[in-house]
Amino acid sequence: MRSTRLGLALAAMAAVLLTACGGSSSAGGASGTVRLSGWTSTPAEDKLLTDQIAAFQVAYPNIKVTYEPVPKDFRTKLKAQLASGTEPDVFYVELGDAAGFMQKHVLLDLRSEMAKTGTKASDFSSGVLAAFKTGDAIYGIPKDFNTLALFYNKDMFTAAGVSPPTKNWTWQDLTDAAKKLTKAGVFGLITNSDSARWAPMVYQNGGQVLNADNTKSMLLDPATVEATKYYTSFKKNGTGTYSGALGSGIDWPGAAFAKGKAAMVMEGGWLIPFMKDYPAIKWDAVELPQGKSGRGNLVFTVGYSISAKTKNPDASWILVNYLTGLDNQKTVLHSGFALPTRTALANDPYFAANPAAAAIFAGGAYGKPFSWGINSGKVADAISAALERILLNKQSVDDALKQADKEVTDALAS
Amino acid sequence: MAVGTSAVVETNTALPTPVKVGPRRGRPWGEWLTSYAFLIPAIIVIGGFTFVAMGVALFLSFFKYDGFTLEWAGLHNYAKALASADFHRALLNVVYYMVVVVTCQTILALSMALVLDRIMVGRGVFRTVYYLPAITSSVVMGLIFSWLFSPGGWVGSLVGIIIPGARQFGWLLDPLSALPAIMTTTIWSTAASFMIIFVAGLQDIPTHIYEAAKIDGAVGWRSLWNITLPLLRPTIFLVVVLGTIGTLQVFDQVYVMTNGGPLKSTLTPVFLIFTNGFRDFSFGLGAAEAFILFAIIFAFTLIQRRFIDTTVEY
Repeated sequence: MRSTRLGLALAAMAAVLLTACGGSSSAGGASGTVRLSGWTSTPAEDKLLTDQIAAFQVAYPNIKVTYEPVPKDFRTKLKAQLASGTEPDVFYVELGDAAGFMQKHVLLDLRSEMAKTGTKASDFSSGVLAAFKTGDAIYGIPKDFNTLALFYNKDMFTAAGVSPPTKNWTWQDLTDAAKKLTKAGVFGLITNSDSARWAPMVYQNGGQVLNADNTKSMLLDPATVEATKYYTSFKKNGTGTYSGALGSGIDWPGAAFAKGKAAMVMEGGWLIPFMKDYPAIKWDAVELPQGKSGRGNLVFTVGYSISAKTKNPDASWILVNYLTGLDNQKTVLHSGFALPTRTALANDPYFAANPAAAAIFAGGAYGKPFSWGINSGKVADAISAALERILLNKQSVDDALKQADKEVTDALAS
Repeated sequence: MAVGTSAVVETNTALPTPVKVGPRRGRPWGEWLTSYAFLIPAIIVIGGFTFVAMGVALFLSFFKYDGFTLEWAGLHNYAKALASADFHRALLNVVYYMVVVVTCQTILALSMALVLDRIMVGRGVFRTVYYLPAITSSVVMGLIFSWLFSPGGWVGSLVGIIIPGARQFGWLLDPLSALPAIMTTTIWSTAASFMIIFVAGLQDIPTHIYEAAKIDGAVGWRSLWNITLPLLRPTIFLVVVLGTIGTLQVFDQVYVMTNGGPLKSTLTPVFLIFTNGFRDFSFGLGAAEAFILFAIIFAFTLIQRRFIDTTVEY
């Protein structure tokens, strides 16, 4: 009898304690440690995130954020961590990995967490959010996005007597300008062996990379072949080249542009803060030229996802919600790094004052996500290798695409 | 090596035994425990990171594994690797790399050792200077050489003096010159450590043999050809075998300098294993390729053992 009473008393106490704990967390007082991981970018861009984390720590002192930046091979490390079950609570997910991760069920469906803070799917640009959705389930919040724009060197255009590009430029305008702008030590346009620069031209020409459900290679589609011929024509005609051929330290098209070795490059918002270190170059950017099928572009985005195995979903979500919140997206936009995914910022006055950012933002309306399903990596590799063979004069466009088509078909079948 | 070992054995038997070293069974427990306690760190490190890892890799090579789901594949991974054009390309590349690098680094290391052996003044300084590349991280070395080989870099500028227009040539960007550029980097960095092995080998050769030869009139090239090289055979064997194993496993220079490109001209088996395993997440395929590479290295070592006679009689 006595022992029963004691047992009951203990049970009651436990119940009170449990309710108390539960109560505090549902009231938004989530606490604990949240591990956050992403790759490092330029020092300025890294500072943006560390500042946001510091501000978060002030606003939510009960949640301790452990930031684990990965300087190189972040995706490799993340996959290894996911495989071994040691992944952080919150991490970057690149567009190309999203499909595979969702298929493997390693990401947390955010809908119930979003409901707790009143965050709605409709707050975000639907085209960008789509990359992180399976059906109605949402597995990541895009932190920002980017598209490509045509960056041009104003002084070089003036010197060559070419009127600056407009958003209504056609492929012919681009070809003509590249020819006139090429002179000793300067190339008109940089075309690297990179599927992410080639694909917009495929879309502008009405071509496809894969079919709509990413199950079949469309590399031999006549429009795709024609676009590939056009993309590689600059190198062939001597009015363009790839950045690696330009000397030490020029490891991407943006560096060629910044060092005055190229009059035009097709890059995204990441080039804007990079150019701050090269004040001598006067530049601007417009939307990419139009092909025979009109406009085409790629959308690049990175999302914050939460591990399906996290022990602290509430605190993790509060961090994600904070980092992708209106204030932070505004800061990122005004810094010029990337564009906001929150629709509330679409009419921000920043765009009127910064035509380059507006041009990149405009690409989001018609750009396609830079993802070719769960085999994105292998597809991009096969295309980049084919472009490399063409640019190095090792294969004709037709032969290179035939080989890539076979490789992509094999990759899709495995 | 063989010489060193036999010398030690001889000294041991010749010495009187002041401490009674009994049979293992007679050893006190404490001593037994102490000796194993000293071995524990090594057992954990070598066991955990080498033997367990090898076992897991062997296991995985029979499965289709992407880090999430494990699926029995039998010999499928081995068949796929052996039929893969990339793997063939990687093997051809690495054999070409091995032949050139092992030949050049052995000759270079031996020459440097012979020079060091003659120098009487400042030997320590030269030895340190020659050895510096061996203790420099291969990543740092790769970065420095990428810079030297870049268009407009030092190598291009030097060659440009003779051949106009070569200054802007990108050595790592052309499929024909990329692998030789990596070979140069490797030869330059590894010759130094093999030089030290040769220096030790040269000091093992008893001076009385040279003195006797001198009386018989064998000096200079004859003494090098008829005495030094034959007596150095065990060391040469060691250097060639270590060089072969090392070159067949080349990874870091490729990773840092070219990433396997351009056009797969610098793709090597270990780089391919890394790509398959850690970028494409086909761990099973990567593991199978690793075991095929192991079999090839094992075969090379056996063949070399057969063809290089390592027994030396002084």
